[in-house]
Amino acid sequence: MQKAKFPAIAATFVLCFLFWILLDFSFKIEELIAGAVVSLLVALFSARFLVHEKAGWFFNPVHLFSAVFFWCGTFLVELVKANVDMAKRCFGGCKNINPGIVKVPVDLKSDYGQAALANSITLTPGTITMETTEEDGQNYFYIHWIDVTAPSGKEAGDAIKGTLEKGLRRVWE
Amino acid sequence: MIVRIIADVLIAIGAIFALAGTIGILKMPDTFSRMQASTCIPTLGMLGAMLGALLIAIFVKADAGAAVKIAVIGLMILVTNPLGSHAIAKGAYKAGVRPEKKMETDDLGRDLYD
Repeated sequence: MQKAKFPAIAATFVLCFLFWILLDFSFKIEELIAGAVVSLLVALFSARFLVHEKAGWFFNPVHLFSAVFFWCGTFLVELVKANVDMAKRCFGGCKNINPGIVKVPVDLKSDYGQAALANSITLTPGTITMETTEEDGQNYFYIHWIDVTAPSGKEAGDAIKGTLEKGLRRVWE
Repeated sequence: MIVRIIADVLIAIGAIFALAGTIGILKMPDTFSRMQASTCIPTLGMLGAMLGALLIAIFVKADAGAAVKIAVIGLMILVTNPLGSHAIAKGAYKAGVRPEKKMETDDLGRDLYD
């Protein structure tokens, strides 16, 4: 396990402190100081688990805005579409399903990007990421899919995560 | 008044999607399909209810602290739900849970477990 570096600690500290303010939501000076001390302690101990790559990534406004745009725009639209589809299947008596596990290639390289993509896929009704592997430098996800319309490979990948991956590439690549 | 109506409509939409998810949990034929249906509840079901509550907290009650807490609750559910779903699905598959009806394709079993 690598030692926590200063930028990692600073990033974790900022995150913890913002969260403290959100939860507490009072701006008395004593409470802010207490929050800063607690955040610093937490950051010292947990920064090496939280931050593995560049620590300042999210404090770049371009990345921040493209991330907000992705989750409030592209992802929300996909989420609503998938939800309506799944609700139709449920109200239709749950007969109209065709489940299976497919293996799709993933082009995102960084750990964070892959984690975000896997979680976005899992959060969309109808698809759950079950396992990730790497073969010959190409990453693959095993995805449980409620309605298999294409065999494993690029085609299934486009159907499941085409727009999501395009949006995430702008954030993480 | 208008805000109140919009908030109520949002909460009703959330309730409808939660109902869909619950019907799915009860009637889907196998474990993984049931988990898929249940994902409706923490996404649009929760999101609709939380957005409605947020509107009420901001415009009807005018309570900033409550609004922030509602937003944080929604965010935490959205962040933590996929981790749990993934862990349960993978754990169930590893423990040997398989659907009664054969799956359309099963690459995970072909490559890693069977």
